[in-house]
Amino acid sequence: MHISEGVLSAPVLVTGVALTAAGCGVGLRKLDYDRVPQVAILTSAFFVASLIHVPIGPSSVHLVLNGLMGLLLGWPAFPAILIALFLQALLFQFGGITTLGVNAFNMAFPAIICFYLFAYAVKRKHNLISMGAAFACGFLAILLGCLMVALSLTFTGDPFVGIAKVVVIAHLPVMIIEGLITLFSAGFLKKLKPELLEAIHAKR
Amino acid sequence: MPKDSPRKGNRLSRISWSMIFLFAVMCASASRTSAHRVILFAYAEGDRVFTESYFSDGKRCQDSRIEVFDSFGNKLLEGKTDRNGQFSFPTPQKTDLRIVLTASMGHKDEYMIPAGELRGEAGERSPGSEPPKAAKKVFGAENGSPARQLTPHEVQQIRMVVEEALNEKLKPVMRLLSKPQSEGISFVQVMGGIGFIFGIMGIILYFRSRRGS
Repeated sequence: MHISEGVLSAPVLVTGVALTAAGCGVGLRKLDYDRVPQVAILTSAFFVASLIHVPIGPSSVHLVLNGLMGLLLGWPAFPAILIALFLQALLFQFGGITTLGVNAFNMAFPAIICFYLFAYAVKRKHNLISMGAAFACGFLAILLGCLMVALSLTFTGDPFVGIAKVVVIAHLPVMIIEGLITLFSAGFLKKLKPELLEAIHAKR
Repeated sequence: MPKDSPRKGNRLSRISWSMIFLFAVMCASASRTSAHRVILFAYAEGDRVFTESYFSDGKRCQDSRIEVFDSFGNKLLEGKTDRNGQFSFPTPQKTDLRIVLTASMGHKDEYMIPAGELRGEAGERSPGSEPPKAAKKVFGAENGSPARQLTPHEVQQIRMVVEEALNEKLKPVMRLLSKPQSEGISFVQVMGGIGFIFGIMGIILYFRSRRGS
């Protein structure tokens, strides 16, 4: 879901940069000293995830992991995703430097939304609710990301519904896989290191 | 309680082993495939220009828009790639051609073909190259007999035959040349990126610890 250079118009690019900058500002302010290593590990995971190609469906798609980032990091997911995307653009030529702001916002904003929607539910004692919320978190983060991409491409003149349909259908397998990844990761952490899930809410 | 701890340790190590295994699988699959970038490659052959487009994991871009611009940015023609991601068109004009591929979901790439590589109609020379000389000593230079002069027409014909043969010979080379781009992501790059992230982490921790103390 990296938008290439030269596709978007200047106003869209500038808006993306402004929104990402704001998000990173909030993210860095909410970032505790103790959690910096955790953010770095998840940034690496996000960075590598884009290389894992999902060979199902008509188009070329890959893992994103923004749902997991949002769930485990909260607002610091913004600077984390920005850094990971910057390195992907630099090393793999995915996306581009000028579209960095838009791409980062498209991935990080759904992560924050999913954080607010599901982080409390995932922490619940009830296993079924917790698992369901974790799956929904991974699933919805990709779905919203697709809609964000479609929305940014709409400004180039193509109709929203058409692009959205193409992007969402292409990413359906990714949504399900990411839902499962988020489910297992959350379940794993809840059993072994529940304080990781709690830590997000320590500083609000 | 002490009876319980070795079992717990065992379980933990099993989990960590499975995590390491998962990571290894991820790395292995990551180094083989990579997605999310489109690559356009084009070459002129005879009086046609051939283009091939694919995602960086080798999947062909089907039914994607290809636009061709001249050096002043005027659109000359446009078309769609076929099932194999290929599209070809007759050389429209003798200028630098900028070919732009727009695949689905905001993917884009472009490729430049300089005017020198193009030929208008079959046989016509590009303006940069020297015109065929009227007289060329080719045959009979050694046995002293008067050298036969080739007519410009003959020279032209020989040139065309040679060029055709060369095109045929160079086709696999062209394909090979376009291939390495598609497998550009190496293990070193991935490790480098991860190292970069941890370097940034170190810098942030350093400054925060200074502020704290």
